[in-house]
Amino acid sequence: MEIEREEIKGTFKPELIPKETGGDIDDYEEALHVLMKFVGSMSSALEQVSGRGASAVVYQAGRRMGHEAGKLMEKTDDLEKAMDELSEILGIEFYFEMWKPADQDGYTIEKGDETIVKLLFMDCVVRQTLRRTGLPQKGPLCYLLYGYMVGAVEEVMGIKGKLDIDHVGPNACLKTLTIKWGGK
Amino acid sequence: MVEIEVDEDACVGCGSCVEDCPNDVYELDEEKGKTKVVKEEDCMACLSCHEICPSQAMEHREIHVAKRLYIDRKVSNVLDKMI
Repeated sequence: MEIEREEIKGTFKPELIPKETGGDIDDYEEALHVLMKFVGSMSSALEQVSGRGASAVVYQAGRRMGHEAGKLMEKTDDLEKAMDELSEILGIEFYFEMWKPADQDGYTIEKGDETIVKLLFMDCVVRQTLRRTGLPQKGPLCYLLYGYMVGAVEEVMGIKGKLDIDHVGPNACLKTLTIKWGGK
Repeated sequence: MVEIEVDEDACVGCGSCVEDCPNDVYELDEEKGKTKVVKEEDCMACLSCHEICPSQAMEHREIHVAKRLYIDRKVSNVLDKMI
């Protein structure tokens, strides 16, 4: 397929913020796809070089991002409220909801000093990246979101948390978030 | 609520969806040798059953369809040349 390119010529002074950044939405989409490919390849290479350590590296990166995002959120000890806020911050690219089987009363389950909630991730950039690159789901890159959720929950609620991947699918992934009461 | 339809003419009764579904939405009807939907209300629309079904016999209605930007053909063509 022949790609048509329109060359834009103009004057640019470094001290000015350009009015036009150049390119349209298609260019951004193209650039994002290239990035997806790169990130996918990087994750795959990381796994090849460091084995299971790759997941730990990606997890830490996600956790750090989660802590940063958590700083923008209101502190709460209500898990459902924290999830609602987090859902707003993650936005449409990581669209998730709390999920429960039909015969379960509430979304949260109390188990000793732990509270458990199931999260259903419907839209996910990580999943798109993996499928874009032809990589299997549940690999190191999925730990990015794992770390992100844990980091955000730790920051907002001031407690320890962990996220387990229950099931991955092409349209949605089910994860279990467990938080342990009793401080860090 | 999610509505699931299994095309009985297409279903080969392999039971892959029954095994793969994490919420036991499907069961194998031993008499007919076909999949039947038994817990539609517990379907979370992950669509693993769509992916595993060899005869594409499933249809899910009223679900959130996740974005699939990676399918864009124009972009794929550009990428093929680059990478």
